[in-house]
Amino acid sequence: MRSLGAPSIMTIVLLLVVAFAAPPVMSFYSVPPYWFHVAIVAYFYAILASSWSLLAGYAGQFSFGHMALMAVGAYTTGLLGRYMSFGVVEGIVSGTLLAGLFGVVIGYLCLRLRRTYLALFTIAFSEILRLTLMAEHEFTEGPDGLPLTPLFATTSKVPAYYAMLGLLVVSLVFMYWLVNSRFGLFFRAIREDEEAAAAMGVHVVRYRVMVFTISSMIAGLAGAVEAHYVEIITPNIFLVLQMSIVIAMAVIGGLESLIAAAFGAIIIHFALELLRPVGNWRMVVFGLLLMLTLRFFQNGLLHPLLQRMFRQRVLAETVAKRQVPSEG
Amino acid sequence: MKLELRDVSKYFGGLKAVDNVHVTIDKPELIGLIGPNGAGKTTLANLIDGVHKPTTGSIWLNGARIDGLPPYLIAQRGLGRTFQVTRAFRRMTVMENMLVPAMAVRPNAEKRDVEEKACKILELLTIEHLRNELGRGLSGGQQKLLELGRLLMLDPHIIILDEPFAGVHPKLQETIYGYIGQVRSQGKAIILISHDMDSIFSLSERLIVLHNGAIIADGLPNEVKKESVVIEAYLGKEEGEGDDA
Amino acid sequence: MIFDVCVESFPYVAGLIINGLVIGVIYALMGLGLTLIFSVLGVVSFAHGEHYMIGGFVAYFLLKWIDGFPPLLAVVFAGVATFVIGAVFDRLFLRPMHSGRVERPAEYAILVTFGFSFFLQYLTLAVIGPFPMKAQRFLDWRIKPLFGTVAMYSTRVVAALIAIVLISIVLWFMYRTWTGRGLRAVSQDKDAAAVTGINSLNMSTLAFGLGTMLAGMSGATLVQVFSWVFDVGVPASAKSFVVIVLGGMGSIPGAMLGGLMIGTLESLGAGCFPDPNRGMAYKDAFGLLVFALVLLFRPQGFFGRKL
Repeated sequence: MRSLGAPSIMTIVLLLVVAFAAPPVMSFYSVPPYWFHVAIVAYFYAILASSWSLLAGYAGQFSFGHMALMAVGAYTTGLLGRYMSFGVVEGIVSGTLLAGLFGVVIGYLCLRLRRTYLALFTIAFSEILRLTLMAEHEFTEGPDGLPLTPLFATTSKVPAYYAMLGLLVVSLVFMYWLVNSRFGLFFRAIREDEEAAAAMGVHVVRYRVMVFTISSMIAGLAGAVEAHYVEIITPNIFLVLQMSIVIAMAVIGGLESLIAAAFGAIIIHFALELLRPVGNWRMVVFGLLLMLTLRFFQNGLLHPLLQRMFRQRVLAETVAKRQVPSEG
Repeated sequence: MKLELRDVSKYFGGLKAVDNVHVTIDKPELIGLIGPNGAGKTTLANLIDGVHKPTTGSIWLNGARIDGLPPYLIAQRGLGRTFQVTRAFRRMTVMENMLVPAMAVRPNAEKRDVEEKACKILELLTIEHLRNELGRGLSGGQQKLLELGRLLMLDPHIIILDEPFAGVHPKLQETIYGYIGQVRSQGKAIILISHDMDSIFSLSERLIVLHNGAIIADGLPNEVKKESVVIEAYLGKEEGEGDDA
Repeated sequence: MIFDVCVESFPYVAGLIINGLVIGVIYALMGLGLTLIFSVLGVVSFAHGEHYMIGGFVAYFLLKWIDGFPPLLAVVFAGVATFVIGAVFDRLFLRPMHSGRVERPAEYAILVTFGFSFFLQYLTLAVIGPFPMKAQRFLDWRIKPLFGTVAMYSTRVVAALIAIVLISIVLWFMYRTWTGRGLRAVSQDKDAAAVTGINSLNMSTLAFGLGTMLAGMSGATLVQVFSWVFDVGVPASAKSFVVIVLGGMGSIPGAMLGGLMIGTLESLGAGCFPDPNRGMAYKDAFGLLVFALVLLFRPQGFFGRKL
């Protein structure tokens, strides 16, 4: 399948080195901690965008409930921490598992729903969750916000930076393995033509539920970690809007590539932060960019770029290999 | 191998699509399934394959009941089919298309062995050179061939080919003939649904005629084609019956 | 307990039902717009609520800037503005989908209308700002409480009356004019309609524009009732989805029935809930729950085509 050639591996290693070396370098140059925060949130979005691209881009399940599952992870750890004295780690694990459970349920419920109906159903789920969180405000603190134990007992943002970065790397590696395994083949077959996939022996039920569960767990995990980092969560009235942002990042990056979606998220988030002085107009441009990308670049903006960058080198390699046998 | 349909009927609302069909296939043979348009041939294929559930009756494969099972379980038990409209996986390569059923049926197989097997089949179908092409980059005829190859990766005992010759040019038809011959010689049973009478009569060892959802003839092709019910079904009623003067 | 009130007090329940029907009429109008879009284009517009929002603002600013501007005219202008926005969007972004030039049309439609919704919300936020606004009541009319005890909101009744007029016009248009019949023909069978000389691409643009127009006009009638802000379209979108799924996607009578039912359901749900505060908070959730159940068990709703 898509095995990595030497140039791709080198680039990835380079990027990892840059990402991991960033904090000490940034500290050295006295970059304000604000930028650590931006990076952490960027990684958070990258995890969400890539896990959504797994669900929607690879498996074709256009669920709009992804952020809601993120919120499940966040609120689980928050509520368990507050009412049952769960520690940070236990809370995060519970949040991940509960989000996964919701994913299983939604996966099963959605089995007979096709594209648009799936989207509508998951929007309904997301809204019902939000309304419940708001309505039960005695329990959840509602819009006032539920406080959480900090992720690390320090004011420095560096540990949280590494935590989120590590989470991003681990989830990308996992999803990459998944996508290149036979499961990835099945997900894509289901996306292409579910009936034909079934006729070819693909256990449609099992794999649809599986992809929902896995992407939900990743979203829940990200949500739980982020919640402890930010130390407060609200049933964000912009839950739907947040979903749009994640979708936009995934689409602009490239729906059918985990890496492109993750990169798209990071680049877009940094760009949005850099453009803060422009105010809300940057979001308007972002929205317009999303629409134009869909209209003219259905495979995303980043993905074709990355493909071109790597394909040229892979081609060169293949040509070189073909010429070798003629010797001796 | 044994496929049995026992008194199978299928109603869609008030419409009777399949009417009390009783058929047994218990040896490798090539069965032509013909009938006028709307006779219920594809519905029958859908019933066997698990896409639809019979309203009454039951379907048995190798002694186990399969009606009501989802199509993927039936496929895993060795029953494969193609569709009237080609349904290759468009955004996956030819090789990936071939890998899907193989991995579904035998998850622990060595990838290399599976790929080798796939290449052999693709060669037979003259499309081996396209192995890394995306499904959507193939011509209609090539996609049809891909579907036929993909089917074999299931290691099926029985296959249903739904209109494999529809809209194909002669060269392609030759390739498909060759494929059918190969499959037949491997000891599989083939149900061939087609309107192409030439192919049906030159290939079939047994002929089943469907009309208004019911089987009106089942036997050797040369005998069946002489039966009056069959002729009537295709040509319509005799003059003088049913029409006002 | 309030629950007892619901069971024992007929006027209270009647009041809830009547108020529910009143708001339901406007839901019906919104649903009508969305079902029209779905029936002709086969697409659910995820930006429907945003047209509602923009219609409201158009009406608001007309009434604010021009003294004595007739409210009904404001509603009409709002409709024209949203019609144009919808038609332009269809022409630029949806037409390639109709002409088959887009690879995955179902996905594309979902994503591009979602993107449009995002764009419109932030555009409004950037231009108008985040502070809620509310228009003055259209008519200085106070309704006496029905049966002596049931409070009636005159602004909503006015809005509902306007909506009824609009619905009647739309129905007349769809069933009695050539263009309307053309739209219905395309909704039933695009190719067959094409054979009779109907340009389905133009019909699609017309349908989309009409659908967004109805949303815009719904908003314009309600801007005197509710506080208006850039994301007021989000729950409106959700409600429209609920209405059309309940009534049956693509069905005009279904949208109307669905609208009335959802309005009543919400009103009864909120009013009869044991805890009044929770009831209010969960108001939107009742419709959503019904919506989820319908999607799971009877996706064609009341009058929709069997999937």
